[in-house]
Amino acid sequence: MIDAYRRFMNIEAPPAPQRPKGFFTDTSLCIGCKACEVACKQWNQLPADGNELSGNSYDNTGALGATTWRHVQFVEQAKANNSRVGQRWLMMSDVCKHCANAACLEACPTGALVRTEFGSVYVQQDICNGCGYCVPACPFGVIDRAPKDGHFEAGRAHKCTLCYDRQKDGLEPACAKACPTDSIQFGDIEELQAKARRRLADLRARGETSARLYGMPESTEAAEVGHLNAFFLLLDRPEVYNLPEVPRLPRKTMAQRYAISAVVGLAFAALSAVAFGRRSG
Amino acid sequence: MEMNGYTVRDGKQVADFAALKDDGSTACGVWIYSGVFPGEGQNMARRRNKGDGWISPEWGFAWPGNRRMLYNRASADPQGRPWSERKKYVWWDAAQHKWTGYDRPDFPDTKAPDTPGQEEGVGVDAHSGSDPFTLKADGRAWLFAPSGLKDGPLPTHYEPLESPVKNPVYRRQDSPIAKRFSRKDNPISAPGDPRFPYLATTYRVTEQYTSGSMSRWSSWLSELMPEMFAEISPELAAEKGIKNRDWIVVSSARGEIECRALVTRRLRPFQLNGALIHEIGLPYHWGYKGLVKGAMANDLVPLSEEPNVYIQEDKAFTCNIRKGRL
Ligand code: SF4
Ligand code: SF4
Repeated sequence: MIDAYRRFMNIEAPPAPQRPKGFFTDTSLCIGCKACEVACKQWNQLPADGNELSGNSYDNTGALGATTWRHVQFVEQAKANNSRVGQRWLMMSDVCKHCANAACLEACPTGALVRTEFGSVYVQQDICNGCGYCVPACPFGVIDRAPKDGHFEAGRAHKCTLCYDRQKDGLEPACAKACPTDSIQFGDIEELQAKARRRLADLRARGETSARLYGMPESTEAAEVGHLNAFFLLLDRPEVYNLPEVPRLPRKTMAQRYAISAVVGLAFAALSAVAFGRRSG
Repeated sequence: MEMNGYTVRDGKQVADFAALKDDGSTACGVWIYSGVFPGEGQNMARRRNKGDGWISPEWGFAWPGNRRMLYNRASADPQGRPWSERKKYVWWDAAQHKWTGYDRPDFPDTKAPDTPGQEEGVGVDAHSGSDPFTLKADGRAWLFAPSGLKDGPLPTHYEPLESPVKNPVYRRQDSPIAKRFSRKDNPISAPGDPRFPYLATTYRVTEQYTSGSMSRWSSWLSELMPEMFAEISPELAAEKGIKNRDWIVVSSARGEIECRALVTRRLRPFQLNGALIHEIGLPYHWGYKGLVKGAMANDLVPLSEEPNVYIQEDKAFTCNIRKGRL
């Protein structure tokens, strides 16, 4: 039945699903070279966002956005007292997490956001109408709409595609290819997760007791958004890297919020009825 | 093919540099790469056979002659036996009368370990069969360098031409044979000069390349490091009333530049002879053209030359800073 409809409407069959692929970003290996940021911009032909010294360590691009899909954070971490002992310079290459339960995808009313055969979350540019619902939905502040007078048509939503075009041709994403230290590893999610567990055990054994994995199926972050197809090994608490401790899925609180709106609405109705009732009476 | 080398008569590629002649019958652009394209359609650098050893001689190409380690004859003792069974690398095979091993031996193939050096021999012929360092005149490695270096034979410590302190090791303050350019526009300030109390050093960041004259034309690199800055410690910033991103002027005996301050705890003041001495860090990637422009750290550096390879001394000199612009 569906097949007949597809043939009639001239719709291609969707590509067969594959074993999900993703990124394991091991921040303990990152040297902050930003090769990933440049490789991403070059492959995806994304423009530079402006030339301003931020004053925030060596990070001058600030955040992920419509035209920055990999972003390297620099955290200069010091102990409270003024001694330099124990001071660290943490680096982390941030990216779209390609969440198992992706809030952006749930919020998208047009079907522009889809789950690809590789398990990644992808914006179809020819369908996105620029409503922007995905932007506040993403608990990580990843997806963003193109600004006016920019490189892309204004308003459409953009983010990391997990190099869908490269994956189609059996190539790994540009950032993982460029990373000189293998801080960014690309591959089969289950294999990467196993590798990450081994790496964590190794680091812990070597005294990195605050090392942790972020976005594994068993970790607290997965409570609402599920595991992340781009997950991380961090050397400190997630807040240190600007990551939420428990990323929230808007859908989970929807009923509650409708209820609140209804109550507030009714309260206003009642108030105005009283006010107008008085005047007319 | 120009790089690999070829016989001039028929334009055929040579197998490797051993086939190059000094009589004009062969031509080669860069002898160390000779052998990378040993024949029509062959590119040794493209090979991807890992093999089962740990040397992978059939993976890519390493110069010269696909050797993974230079002077590897030194992995065997004077008699040609591996120094260590576990780390054996190349050795003399007496039965076949030649050098062999995991890597390609970096030594004349059939020169036995007991071959004496020829008194009047030219090049490697002057070396004996137990002199592994084939590119050195005597075939030996040196710990003590009695000739060749202008400031040998042993390392010592001198202060930079400009230093905030006196040399704690010798009465002699700085290198007696560093080349100086004594000109009005290239003065050197003396140790303890109150006008320039701070240390300065210059360095690179990964996002830009040397003076930036190439990388500052790439928008993707420019946005990552868009402006000249000077890194200073929070202690010095507080002393001078400078906030992060403020404009500051950095001056030396030779000039002054303006740039932004980047206040960071990565810079830490030195304790030198009991005194607290601040250091200013200056990347040197900016200039007057490009997508991003900025002051040149090298305007502050003293012009001088190290006596052997004539590199200027720009990793340590003295300076001062103040809040504001030029
Ligand atoms: S990180 Fe944000 S943009 Fe990426 S899949 Fe998850 S919800 Fe969507
Ligand atoms: S390319 Fe790799 S090492 Fe360099 S900043 Fe990105 S993640 Fe870090």
